[in-house]
Amino acid sequence: MSALLVDKLDVVFGRFRALTALSLAVDAGEVRAVIGPNGAGKTTLLDVISGITKPLRGRVMLGDSLDLAKCSEAGIAKAGVRRKFQKPSVFPALTVYENLDIGCGAGLPASERAARIGAVLGEIGLEPRAHALAGALAHGEKQWLEIGMVLGSNPRIILLDEPVAGLSDAETERTAALIRALRRPDRAIVVIEHDMAFVEAIADRVTVLHEGRTLYEGGMRGARADARVIEVFLGR
Amino acid sequence: MSGAADSLPSPVNARPRRSAAWLHEPLLVGILLLILAACLVLVGLKPAPYVVNTIGQLAVFAILAVSLDLIWGYLGILSLGHGLFFAIGGYVCAMHLLSHAFSATGVAPDFVQFMGWKTLPAYWAGLTNAPYALFLAMALSGAVAFVFGFASFRSRVNGVYFSIISQALVYVAMLLMFRNDTGLGGNNGMTGFPLLFGYPMGSAAVTTGLALASLGALAAVLVGTRALVAGRIGRRMLACRDDETRLRTLGYGTTRLKLGIWCLSAMIAALAGVLYVPQVGIINPRVLAPDLSIEIAVWVAIGGMGRLGGAVIGAVAVNALKFWLSAAMPEAWPFILSGLVLVVVLALPNGLLDFASLRTKPTWLRNGGGR
Amino acid sequence: MAELPQPVSFLVRGVRVALALILMVSASMAQAAADPIDRSALARAVCSDGAGLARGADDVVRSAATASADDLAFSGSILRALLDRRLACVGDTSVLLDRPGGSEGRDAATGATRSAAGARSPVLGLRQRGLVETGAGVVALLTGASTAQRSAGLATLERRAAAVPEADTILERARAAETDAVLRAAIVQAMQAAALNAPEPARRRAAIGAIADAPSSAARSRLASLRTDPAYAADPAFKAALDAGIARVERAVTIGDGLALSYNALSFASILFMAAVGLAIIFGLMGVINLAQGELIMVGAYAAYGVQEAFRMVAPGLIDLYLVAAIPVAFLASAGVGIVVEALILRHLYRRPLMSLLATWAVSLFLINLVRVVFGSQNLQFGMPSYVSGGVPLYADFIVTWNRLFAIAFAAVTLAATLLILKRTPLGLDIRAVTQNRDMAGALGIRTRRVDRLAFGFGSGLAGLAGVALCPIYSVNPGMGATFIVDSFMVVVLGGVGTVVGTVVAALGIGGANVLIEPFYGAVAAKVIVLVGIIVFLQRRPEGLFVARRRR
Repeated sequence: MSALLVDKLDVVFGRFRALTALSLAVDAGEVRAVIGPNGAGKTTLLDVISGITKPLRGRVMLGDSLDLAKCSEAGIAKAGVRRKFQKPSVFPALTVYENLDIGCGAGLPASERAARIGAVLGEIGLEPRAHALAGALAHGEKQWLEIGMVLGSNPRIILLDEPVAGLSDAETERTAALIRALRRPDRAIVVIEHDMAFVEAIADRVTVLHEGRTLYEGGMRGARADARVIEVFLGR
Repeated sequence: MSGAADSLPSPVNARPRRSAAWLHEPLLVGILLLILAACLVLVGLKPAPYVVNTIGQLAVFAILAVSLDLIWGYLGILSLGHGLFFAIGGYVCAMHLLSHAFSATGVAPDFVQFMGWKTLPAYWAGLTNAPYALFLAMALSGAVAFVFGFASFRSRVNGVYFSIISQALVYVAMLLMFRNDTGLGGNNGMTGFPLLFGYPMGSAAVTTGLALASLGALAAVLVGTRALVAGRIGRRMLACRDDETRLRTLGYGTTRLKLGIWCLSAMIAALAGVLYVPQVGIINPRVLAPDLSIEIAVWVAIGGMGRLGGAVIGAVAVNALKFWLSAAMPEAWPFILSGLVLVVVLALPNGLLDFASLRTKPTWLRNGGGR
Repeated sequence: MAELPQPVSFLVRGVRVALALILMVSASMAQAAADPIDRSALARAVCSDGAGLARGADDVVRSAATASADDLAFSGSILRALLDRRLACVGDTSVLLDRPGGSEGRDAATGATRSAAGARSPVLGLRQRGLVETGAGVVALLTGASTAQRSAGLATLERRAAAVPEADTILERARAAETDAVLRAAIVQAMQAAALNAPEPARRRAAIGAIADAPSSAARSRLASLRTDPAYAADPAFKAALDAGIARVERAVTIGDGLALSYNALSFASILFMAAVGLAIIFGLMGVINLAQGELIMVGAYAAYGVQEAFRMVAPGLIDLYLVAAIPVAFLASAGVGIVVEALILRHLYRRPLMSLLATWAVSLFLINLVRVVFGSQNLQFGMPSYVSGGVPLYADFIVTWNRLFAIAFAAVTLAATLLILKRTPLGLDIRAVTQNRDMAGALGIRTRRVDRLAFGFGSGLAGLAGVALCPIYSVNPGMGATFIVDSFMVVVLGGVGTVVGTVVAALGIGGANVLIEPFYGAVAAKVIVLVGIIVFLQRRPEGLFVARRRR
């Protein structure tokens, strides 16, 4: 059964069609990469799933009964869907620790907080920086902190928008390891990324978007061989 | 994730930095000590009445500035209509003073006679009772703030949009209060308050008492808001100010957060209005002029926004200067004020606090503060 | 006439003289045969006893309807001289003096110069004075050189209608000859009033019909007052005619008031649009709300005042043109202030919109007080050129006033020019590019800072134009900006960020709502309703009417 089912989404901005009858099913335990050229609608897709953009038509089903397209952002987050943004969106005025505290959500009992935050700090490797202001972190550290904020609430669905944009090779490798470690049978991870080597390293399947439609869905090797994908994406 | 949490020992000191009490901020402690010193001076040295009155008014303005800083500095919501809540407090207080005087002396207030009425309008009922009047001031300002805030925050009106709509709100309220048929004094407002709790207004005891009450209220507001912003809610406020969408996608209903703080801020402003009116002896629609509401923001910006102590310093410094200069050279005051604003806005992003070199950490204000 | 500048006044006078000549000729041709006034008899009569004088004056009144223009002018000069005490009697010969008590004058009958030595002044009793005044008034109405003289004559005639049996014919003659539209309307009214009080019922009914044909609120109250007339109760035909007439007038007045209201709404919306469009462009481009926009409007109005004063000093003959000459001056003045503000202040504040709000407030405070110190805080006195004063009555009470039409046309031209600049010029393309995606535009080599500065200057200049457009309608003083600023902010909020079309629609909506609600619930309620309406509207469309697509 799919953990997340995107069903015939139409998204329109003014006269511009960002997504056209887009459907996508992500299984639990899977890492799904969504790739495509600029303007293909990748970020719009995540915006719809996380509730920032409302679709004109279509549903986003979490499990059997919950249509995320009808929920508020906060409601979607509480249902266990968390997102990392393309631009690192950490809270610069708060410390790393406080950022993670906020990431844990309002519902977690105070007694469990410290342990949870400590564990996340370990996972993302930012223990030494715990009391630094997030605004003072390096770019890569901000990326990891944001992933950590997503992890704090133990989400069922993780949406990662370009987690390795602007990172060095070493940092990219570390991030790939981190994402592989996040994989769990009851969790689905959706990653948007341009870096093909990175995608190959982490993804079980890829979905190729082009001009708001699905062009290809399947393994990375198949994508590399698909004629249409080569044409639009690799520009040949 | 839970598995990892079980197996790993907590690697860092889990106590968040800001859970410490407000005592950790030297600026705030200094201000509280100054308030205490001012109280002692008032009681011990018995300065001239106008000095006492001035101290009391400055404390009121400081409360007003703190109320604005709470939502502007910590939530990034600039209200250009805070004069409305100040005025609600002021008007309710004036209504209490007038109905108190009416019941004590039997002489109807000027505007009632002017309108040719025999008694006070029906909605003045019960205002002779001071606790009820205070409750009404708080409830009314809170309710107005709630309705306006709910409509704005729910539809995600924010930033500059919110500022200019709140300005329109106070402007419309001013036009409304200029009407003579509202039963609230119209154009001339309300004045001529002979008594406060049965004591003659203007006596040394009443003047000193009002100043002490204002200083006490300021101290209480500072301690209370400090506790609020230093805690978990304060962190959410900063997070909301810097990236509201992000906070929502982390599962927080930011509308509720903003609405709560907005109403609290409105009620603090109303408290300032309640304390202000007996000290100046008059309230009229001019407190609702949009310029006055902008001036509150100017105090906060000059003092240093996002620091409660900064708001106090700004309000006191600007108003002390205003008291002095608008008597000494009234023509020059607007020029000085506009120059001051421009200097602060352009050269001192953290306001006068930049001068005091009390900037222990908040360099982030440079980036995040202006949103 | 006094306020007209020299050349125009010459022209008008020339036309009037020519017209008068034509009239005199045609009148003398048409009425040469009829009822000539016996000039010498009149000249003698005024110097006989009181009864003779009264008879002489009465003769003038009786024959005025048909007398030739020459005769009228002759009688007029005698009657005028009597009233001014410039008429002396030497025996039974009347002598016209240049001034009261003069020693010499012209023989009234022959025109020869005569000494006034030993002359006596005729005594005007109450009855004689009345008749002489009536006669002089009738003559003035028919032959007066200026509109003022003729309308004074009309007033005299109306006051003394009872003493003028030929009033109808005199009025008809005056109406046919009258060149001034306003005065002609007044003459028609006087004729109707006379007919209304006529003894014949048919004529009264016809008069009611005639009044109803030219509906106005004055006509309505004139007809309504007839309901107390005895004939209303006694004569069913009169009652029916009056009720029908009143109903017709009321309908027309309602329509006319509606038109007038819409016209006012349109002109207010035009001013609002001009005040707001610069704001909207700047806000769309830079996210800066310029709280000094109202003061830039004021700068424009003061620049117009400066141009007027310059014309008055340098070229007083061309002063009518100052309002047109002020258009570029006001634009440049406000644009200059805007560019200075941008370069000195706002340039440093683009990432901090709320701080730029405070900074522009400081600028507005500074400008208001600077103008107050330099010019004082009183209202400026503008001389209004003929093309923005007065108007044309169009229907019932609806008058198309030129000053409001000026504002509407000005706004329309501004709208067209703004659209042209934004859509058809390189600067406009740059502005639109930077508005939609600043980073991308910068990457393409557009110098975004320069675009900001020019656009800020352009938006400020538009505010200056608003200042010119409103100075014929509203008062101009240092605090005038505050009158418009809240409304124009609401226009920007409602219209949406950076769209000219949105600004037009929102200005029409808010200006229209304000003006249309005001007569029913008052100005304050109008503002309250508009604000509540905007907040409710934002519940459904938080970004305003027209949304520019943006990327997070």
